[in-house]
Amino acid sequence: MPAASGKRFKPSKYVPVSAAAIFLVGATTLFFAFTCPGLSLYVSPIIPAYNAVVFLFVLANFSMATFMDPGIFPRAEEDEDKEDDFRAPLYKTVEIKGIQVRMKWCATCRFYRPPRCSHCSVCDNCHPLTAPRPRQEFDHHCPWVNNCIGRRNYRYFFLFLLSLTTHIMGVFGFGLLYVLYQVEELSGVRMAVTMVVMCVAGLFFIPVAGLTGFHVVLVARGRTTNEQVTGKFRGGVNPFTNGCCRNVSRVLCSSPAPRYLGRPKAEQTVLVRPPFLRPEVSDGQITVKIMDNGIQTELKRTKSKGSLEVTESQSADAEPPPPPKPDLSRYTGLRTHLTLATTEDSSLLGKDSPPTPTMYKYRPGYSSSSSSAALPHSTSAKLSRVNSLKEPNSICDSGHKPSYRSEPSLEPESFRSPTFGKSFHFDPLSSGSRSSSLKSAQGTGFETGHLQSIRSEGTTSTSYKSLVNQTRNGSLSYDSLLTPSDSPDFESVQAGPEPEAPVGYTSPFLSARIAQQRETDLHGRFASTASPKHAAPREPSPVRYDNLSRHIVASIQEREKLLQQPPAPGQEEDAGLADSGIQSTPGSGNAPRTSSSSDDSKRSPLGKNPLTRPALPRFGKPEPPPALRVRSLGSPDQPAAPHLGKSVSYSSQKTASQAGGPETEEVALQPLLAPKDEVQMRTAYSKSNGQPKSLGSAPPGPGPVPLSSPTRGGVKKVSGVGGTTYEISV
Amino acid sequence: LCPQVHSLQELRRSASLATKVFVQRDYSDGTTCQFQTKFPPELESRIERQLFEETVKTLNGFYAEAEKIGGSSYLEGCLACATAYFIFLCMETHYEKVLKKISKYIQDQNEKIYAPRGLLLTDPLERGMRVIEISIYEARCSSGSPSSGSSSSSSGGGGGG
Repeated sequence: MPAASGKRFKPSKYVPVSAAAIFLVGATTLFFAFTCPGLSLYVSPIIPAYNAVVFLFVLANFSMATFMDPGIFPRAEEDEDKEDDFRAPLYKTVEIKGIQVRMKWCATCRFYRPPRCSHCSVCDNCHPLTAPRPRQEFDHHCPWVNNCIGRRNYRYFFLFLLSLTTHIMGVFGFGLLYVLYQVEELSGVRMAVTMVVMCVAGLFFIPVAGLTGFHVVLVARGRTTNEQVTGKFRGGVNPFTNGCCRNVSRVLCSSPAPRYLGRPKAEQTVLVRPPFLRPEVSDGQITVKIMDNGIQTELKRTKSKGSLEVTESQSADAEPPPPPKPDLSRYTGLRTHLTLATTEDSSLLGKDSPPTPTMYKYRPGYSSSSSSAALPHSTSAKLSRVNSLKEPNSICDSGHKPSYRSEPSLEPESFRSPTFGKSFHFDPLSSGSRSSSLKSAQGTGFETGHLQSIRSEGTTSTSYKSLVNQTRNGSLSYDSLLTPSDSPDFESVQAGPEPEAPVGYTSPFLSARIAQQRETDLHGRFASTASPKHAAPREPSPVRYDNLSRHIVASIQEREKLLQQPPAPGQEEDAGLADSGIQSTPGSGNAPRTSSSSDDSKRSPLGKNPLTRPALPRFGKPEPPPALRVRSLGSPDQPAAPHLGKSVSYSSQKTASQAGGPETEEVALQPLLAPKDEVQMRTAYSKSNGQPKSLGSAPPGPGPVPLSSPTRGGVKKVSGVGGTTYEISV
Repeated sequence: LCPQVHSLQELRRSASLATKVFVQRDYSDGTTCQFQTKFPPELESRIERQLFEETVKTLNGFYAEAEKIGGSSYLEGCLACATAYFIFLCMETHYEKVLKKISKYIQDQNEKIYAPRGLLLTDPLERGMRVIEISIYEARCSSGSPSSGSSSSSSGGGGGG
């Protein structure tokens, strides 16, 4: 029958509860009216009292079971499911006491149903105007009380069953007593009524007792009816049980849980007003942990201003794992920017950083994406600050890390870290979408252009990303680039064993410096040779490669300086870092043109950086882990290798065209560490040589692929070790 | 300086909701009400880790206390049974008492720690004890879409100044 409110009024659903109520109340009333007076007179007055108490108990529990909210969840607000809704996998697994339990995504409720939570088909159908809502610890829908039994009212339901069983037994027993002992005359009305009551009681006793026994077992086992009936834990272990006694006590003795619906909405009295405080990052309190291709390196910055702990969660990324990223220390150097935009000195990594540079892989793009638990593929590069300083350079070579997206490029590490730091800075701070977009934007570039820098530390991709970030943000400063103190750390971060002696391996920072120096030389040298693309080494290249050029130039100059004087590790590296960053910029700027593919172009900036890097290792850590680098190059190498070759070709061409520029560092992109080191060494000393061809010939094996890249006016392409190509604006 | 505001609506003139972070339940110990203490990355630059963890741990402690099965809860149950649950009309349950404490604690945390950092905690009770919802606000004293990250903070600083 249609109801005015639109709600369907189904009287049928009230039949069971009505019947139950009628029988219960009616029979008991008759019992009290007809049987009890005789009993109280002839046997004892306690009997009616006892029965009254029991009956009251039954009624109370019956009412509570009927009218109490079983624990209905409020609907999730829209914000909550924002991330879940579109990409949510149907099931989310949680581990409860060591047992995997699946939580299903409930589309109507828009959240993952907590364990043991379920919808009630009966109740949901009966109230079409109300959105169906799940019940917490859903047991079953009891028709006799016309209510769902869930977490909150299970106790009352259970007690109702117990008390009802007791009551029925009492009524039946005392009625039987009355009849048997013929307290009063047998053929009276009372006798008849008592007989009727006894029959009813006896009739109801069987199902009620059965149900009671069933629930006693359930309580003892810690299961719900739902679970028992669907056989969820038939053969397995129930993760929700705490033992028989505890289960029983939990049902009976725990404090009644609150209801979620219908609560008075708390008035929000707290005002949120800017300016907002930002957490301070204190020196030596932040640990930078960069995961690179599964290699987790925790840099403990003893002297650094602080370190950022970047943890990347491995997520199923479609992109191939990028080569190991540049030294985390470099990133930490950038961290200064990350932290409250303090212009902290780049010596984050301090001098204490271990000699072996750690390869780190930072995926700024993924940092925020991992925040959502339901994200199917969130590679989270989580930047977290840890208050404890951890010893750095624990590089775990874990091989491929899908989340590692850095491009293996020869970008000078110093360059990378600053930019990386910057990008990193902004990525985690920005919304996840932003990082994701950054990720995706750079993904192709990075993924395709796995410039495997021999030294590779994924800084190239990082720096690339950071560059992009910079372009987006515009607020990124390149101060960090100019603080190449990270370079030593960066170098130290590099975990891989560097077969080459430190001589051949220049720290990225140093290389940046050297590159910078070289660039200055290059400018002079190439002024005549080619129309300089960039008037000055530091001339900003178009748009987003602005920083790159600066970095590259800086790194080149750094290198030059390094070549000229024995470097003080920190400072020189810092300069080198800055330089490398600068140096790489022009390279990147020219990359698109020079590289044969857009991928290359993307990678070439990164590749450029390692160019400067080769010089740096010299000053940097004694043993940059060439093995690590090789590894990093190797694993994600495959896609990058061809690119490397390409960039190598470009750079070699360029260097060939530019004769005699010491800055022309051509380091063939090679996954091999040795040639890279060799090239690095050469590049480090290229200043004196100024012979690009020496560099070109340096890397054996894959060696310099014929460079076909045209020389941009004023842009020198330098191939770094590992085949990364740097374009240095002259 | 941003004007004094006395309601969240007015607040939105100077601070706008940028995003929300949801701290999920920690089911590792069964269905007891516990929340994960994992530090969400979005809060990386907004609040110190230990503050956040302390908040969540305190909340977890409160919920554990609420669900504790002990002498007091047993007596409460017996009393309720004895009075046919009429006692619930007069007295609030132990759980409810702890919930009030929690709500007070959350408000206190909001006032002292989270609001100055542009964050707001929402009582998980409003979400059915499924999540702790942390709203992240960004300052925007001038019109414009709220931007997250440092730029917003800088603008916030400018706005507040």
